[in-house]
Amino acid sequence: MKKILILVILLYFLALLQTSFLVHFSISGIVPNLILILIILWNLFEKSKNYFGLSNALVGGFFLDIFSNRPIGFFILILGITAVFIKFFIKNYVRIPFIERA
Amino acid sequence: MKFSSKKRRFIILIVIVVLIIVLLNLFQKEVKGFFYYISCPIQKSLWGAGDRVSDFFESFFRIKSLKKETDELKLKNQELLSQITVLQEQKEENKVLREALGIELQKEFKLALAQIISKDISQDFILIDKGLEDGISENMPVITQQRVLLGKVSEVYKNFSKVMLIFNKKSSFDATIQREKSEISGVVKGKGNFRVSFDFISQEKDISKEDIVVTSALGRIFPEGLLVGQIEKIKKSDVEPFQELEVKPFFDIKDIEGLFIITEY
Repeated sequence: MKKILILVILLYFLALLQTSFLVHFSISGIVPNLILILIILWNLFEKSKNYFGLSNALVGGFFLDIFSNRPIGFFILILGITAVFIKFFIKNYVRIPFIERA
Repeated sequence: MKFSSKKRRFIILIVIVVLIIVLLNLFQKEVKGFFYYISCPIQKSLWGAGDRVSDFFESFFRIKSLKKETDELKLKNQELLSQITVLQEQKEENKVLREALGIELQKEFKLALAQIISKDISQDFILIDKGLEDGISENMPVITQQRVLLGKVSEVYKNFSKVMLIFNKKSSFDATIQREKSEISGVVKGKGNFRVSFDFISQEKDISKEDIVVTSALGRIFPEGLLVGQIEKIKKSDVEPFQELEVKPFFDIKDIEGLFIITEY
């Protein structure tokens, strides 16, 4: 429970950082999407039987939706699909020796 | 058709997520308003911190070009000072003539000061700290202190508003290039990704790179005479009926400190 709460706060803070702080460091208008980076890395290195990465993707997507002008659900869908795709791809096609896979 | 318990659980989870998303969309304004309200103090300090840190680093990177820029600005300043003196004389003359003819001076705008809280993740929108309670309503023009047009209010919350910047693909309005004897009218359109074009200018019109684009009252979207930008790229083609003009807006979202919403004009 504590872990979930910390992650929700972290994702919320990353969304704030991205929309208010990193805007000042954009290169030709491009700002790094911190939540997307975190979700990709999390799902890449998570054991395939765990679904924490997927729930993180949904929460992260929710925060991105809140701070964007799109309807709620747009980024939830994009990040959700990204997480599922990474999990599926890694489970079926990739073997990384130093990462334990279930 | 039989589902295993794992699949059933997965389907139930998807249904719950979809239901939550539908519900959140029904109360989208309230949900977003709540998050903007609790995030506002943190976002304001983050915006300020970002501004200061980027200014600090920029000074390092631009130290070489700064001297050249200062010299250019000094020269430009001299030029503008001489223009101001001429314009002041004309203003006085204009005032006397208006009084003589009985024409009222153009009314000044009624403004509301606002601060940027955040910029949209993917599109050209910004969030500002004024909303319904401050008398803000949709489609009100938003400008900088230098009368540079930023965009218009597109969504209003209780204490916040979303501003659609002129870069946005949905943004289009009438504008002109002021000349001494004539004016060239066209339509300014957002191209996304910080680009703006000036369309519907026929091939025979003579446009130069230094030309300044200002808003016109034709479409009644924005008041007349707000600065939009300077012509940056000109592309002429014999096949096309119109010229392809790209405008460089006069503002950079990173450098804006305070902005104004025109509540009445």
